[in-house]
Amino acid sequence: MDLFTDIYNKVIGFFRKTDAEETSKDTACNRLRVVLMQDRTNLNPQLLERMRSELIDLLSKYVEMDKEALELNFEQEGEQMALMLSIPVLRAKSEEDIEKALKESDEKASEEDEENSDEESEEKPKKRKSKKSEDSEISEETEESKEEETNSEEETEQETEEKTEE
Amino acid sequence: MTGRVIVITSGKGGVGKTTTNANIGTALARAGKKVVMIDTDLGLRNLDLLLGLENRIVYTIVDVVEERCKLKQALVKDKKNPNLCLLAAAQTRDKSAVTQEQLKDICEQLKEDYDFILVDCPAGIEQGFQNAVAGASEAIVVTTPEMSAVRDADRIIGLLEAKEEIKSYRLLINRVRPNLVKTNDMMSVDDVVEILSAKLIGIIPEDTGIITSTNKGEPIVNDEKSLAGRAYKNVAQRILGEEVPYLDLEAETSMVTKVKKFFAGLIGKEKQ
Repeated sequence: MDLFTDIYNKVIGFFRKTDAEETSKDTACNRLRVVLMQDRTNLNPQLLERMRSELIDLLSKYVEMDKEALELNFEQEGEQMALMLSIPVLRAKSEEDIEKALKESDEKASEEDEENSDEESEEKPKKRKSKKSEDSEISEETEESKEEETNSEEETEQETEEKTEE
Repeated sequence: MTGRVIVITSGKGGVGKTTTNANIGTALARAGKKVVMIDTDLGLRNLDLLLGLENRIVYTIVDVVEERCKLKQALVKDKKNPNLCLLAAAQTRDKSAVTQEQLKDICEQLKEDYDFILVDCPAGIEQGFQNAVAGASEAIVVTTPEMSAVRDADRIIGLLEAKEEIKSYRLLINRVRPNLVKTNDMMSVDDVVEILSAKLIGIIPEDTGIITSTNKGEPIVNDEKSLAGRAYKNVAQRILGEEVPYLDLEAETSMVTKVKKFFAGLIGKEKQ
């Protein structure tokens, strides 16, 4: 099974690289899309970075991933705006590790709760708002990258390729 | 008569708002409509230059507001077309000299006598923009296929959508260079339309004729041969509710067509 997915990724990667060398027009379009999403949502780079690091904290409890290569981008699909999260998964965590990480974070959370309950209550609604519409996207993307089958991000493809070489 | 008030705006400066205004206004007047253009760019007026009317301005919009003259006295008639006239901006005052209410009032009065009132909006999103938009119920957002212009257009669209008075807005993409689009070095019309998800009303190719026509103070739409002129004429027809196909810019600017036109021009000259 693994062998097939590797071959699939390599073939797809090969075609993508040859027929779609990014033109300056594509660069302009992509940069514009990102900047317009920021303009429209009031999510500036700092906030996006914060969202990114919070997501890393959350997801790294469950999987071991390449934190540097995690990508968080806005994309537009017709009228709908989507927050796309691409996570290069290095390997699955063992059950023990997952439980350990969950326990740690639970302890941390309860400590924090005691320390600054005021601050928490202020921040919570904000977080929910920004994540609400993208919840489904995120779960979809994680599943995809877990299976390492279809992933549009080039970097992730490279990741999987490297992995097979190892 | 109840005229339509259309504001022509862009956010970014230098994308061709005033040129668009002059050409659409002239085309509508040539189509037999009564048109008045209002320059609301107080302190930086230019619409008079593009129409070649700079020496005929006696009163400006500020004179009307401050009641030094009647509205009708301040309207400058076009040299060629009696259907077309201009209400010029004051050059020595700033944007605060006319309020939103006053502009609304002027538009209401003009609606009774004219089919179209085209409001030329200053660049920016500050008071000048707010004033210009105040009396309008439709908008044309001018942009070019450049990142900064598209970004600013997006901002303007956001502001227009928030305004109840603006019932509809459409996008005019100016200064398209088919050769660059073909080599993927410039965003295409489709790209811009998709990114802004707005309805289109016109595509104007980059045309050196615009520079010479501005030099002469005569809108390029008067030149039936020019590509940009034809594109502007089509925009006017779409405003009038006609369905006009978009020009195939790539074909029009290809070498073969140019050569054909060159020879057609030679033959035409010989016959004369």
